[in-house]
Amino acid sequence: MTATRPPGLPWPARVALWDRALGAIRERLRAAGMREVSTPVRVAAVAVEPFIEPLTAPPGYLATSPELAMKRLLCRGAGSIFQISHVFRAAEIGARHSEEFHLIEWYRVDDDLAAARADVEALVDAVFTAAGRPPVARWSTFAILEIVEATLGLRLRGDEEADALTRLAAGVGLALTGPGLAARDPDVRRLAAWTAFFSEWSDRDLDPWLADRGGGVHLCDFPPALAALAELREVDGSRLAARFESYVDGVELANGYQELRDADEQAARFAVVSGLRDAHDLPTLPVDGPFLSDLRGYGLPRCAGVALGLDRLLMIAAGADQLSDISLALGTPGR
Amino acid sequence: MDVSDLRKNAKLEIDGQPYVVVEFQFVKPGKGQGLYKCKIKNMITGAVLDRTWRSGEKLEAANVESRKMQFLYSSGEAFTFMDMGTYEQVELVADIVGDDKNYLLDNLECDILFYNDRPVGLSMPSHVVMEVTEAEPGVKGDTATGVTKNAWVSTGYQIAVPLFIKVGEKVKIDTRTGAYVERVNE
Repeated sequence: MTATRPPGLPWPARVALWDRALGAIRERLRAAGMREVSTPVRVAAVAVEPFIEPLTAPPGYLATSPELAMKRLLCRGAGSIFQISHVFRAAEIGARHSEEFHLIEWYRVDDDLAAARADVEALVDAVFTAAGRPPVARWSTFAILEIVEATLGLRLRGDEEADALTRLAAGVGLALTGPGLAARDPDVRRLAAWTAFFSEWSDRDLDPWLADRGGGVHLCDFPPALAALAELREVDGSRLAARFESYVDGVELANGYQELRDADEQAARFAVVSGLRDAHDLPTLPVDGPFLSDLRGYGLPRCAGVALGLDRLLMIAAGADQLSDISLALGTPGR
Repeated sequence: MDVSDLRKNAKLEIDGQPYVVVEFQFVKPGKGQGLYKCKIKNMITGAVLDRTWRSGEKLEAANVESRKMQFLYSSGEAFTFMDMGTYEQVELVADIVGDDKNYLLDNLECDILFYNDRPVGLSMPSHVVMEVTEAEPGVKGDTATGVTKNAWVSTGYQIAVPLFIKVGEKVKIDTRTGAYVERVNE
């Protein structure tokens, strides 16, 4: 017998949930002094990430995130802005993944990650309230390496080279594998090792830890190899990435950066990611040249930015455990 | 094939054995590598294993071919099917047929799976229409919806049907769940 799942929220309830949530999100972000923008869904280049594959839309791609387009507006003096956008990531299909989904993306100009985390908490509360669910009882913030130590008994500094990290991970039963570990460039190897470590550890150790704990959790101070588009900063003598990830009831919801403003550093990071993609035989992606020249020419104002998965937030708010339980999509491909 | 082509029912060759993906779960930390967590079933032995693949890994698709064939007869231990174009006959053992034997009416067309030209499985139409050969009497006056009684169809399979179903009538059955779907009027 094949177990059949209940069909999820009834359609009128889904429509009401989306309507109330979208209204509450806009109200909250506008009240925080942000203006709403809408940037193109089809773009010439996406932010190059190790394992985020864009869908092609000749002569460009469907946006995997509105980040670069919004940063170009920030460079041109937009001030604090937000967007609720449709984004696309090829081959991400599962109970909590869909090739097309919605990101709430916002940037606070001249502000920091504490304010950005407070925004995440306020948006979660606003949507929970809109869905008739009581707010998250408790939010906590941890350094990610602190939780690595709590779950593995392994104290990492965050700047370990690929070989050292692979050895240390093997000692706690995490096998780091993949062609990136054999790349010639040590920066590519380091990115490969930390990406593999984070993926394997998330799946085996972090997810159960988060599920046990429940409530809201922010993890911050990432190893520099995982800085992505975030600035590095000194924390107790170590250089760590000013980045956080937020989870509610064990589900990853949001990712925030104190945004990197240095164009050369950004270009160098894109090159390392491209090197890792080459090692994995993944398609070569163009680097967004106009974005880099805006960083150089206009300069990006100091800002904190966050991307939050709207579909997942609605799923949790509705007490559901699959995106299809709350989705308004009827027979769309890639779900 | 690439791991991103993994889906439920995808057919893979591992160490010279054909496997079908029976359960599939995709997980991925936002900035990390995707993990494709699968339960895979050996299409010859029926053994089920857990396997996890990571984004970027490559897999080998199994050389599995499916051919439409008609069910002829069963000896109890083996089930014989015939290709209506070539009249070639093949046998499947009862272990492979499993519960699908409940829906194997004479002359039913199904897809027989061949791995490197050896028959290893069958895939049924999603629905079959069968005649009710025996049924418990309906209780008069009980008009509550959702109330069922036992009935038997021509293969001897027992199924729960609504009270209004009578012997000699035809019913549609979902072969994936084994459940009654509706009465068929011909």
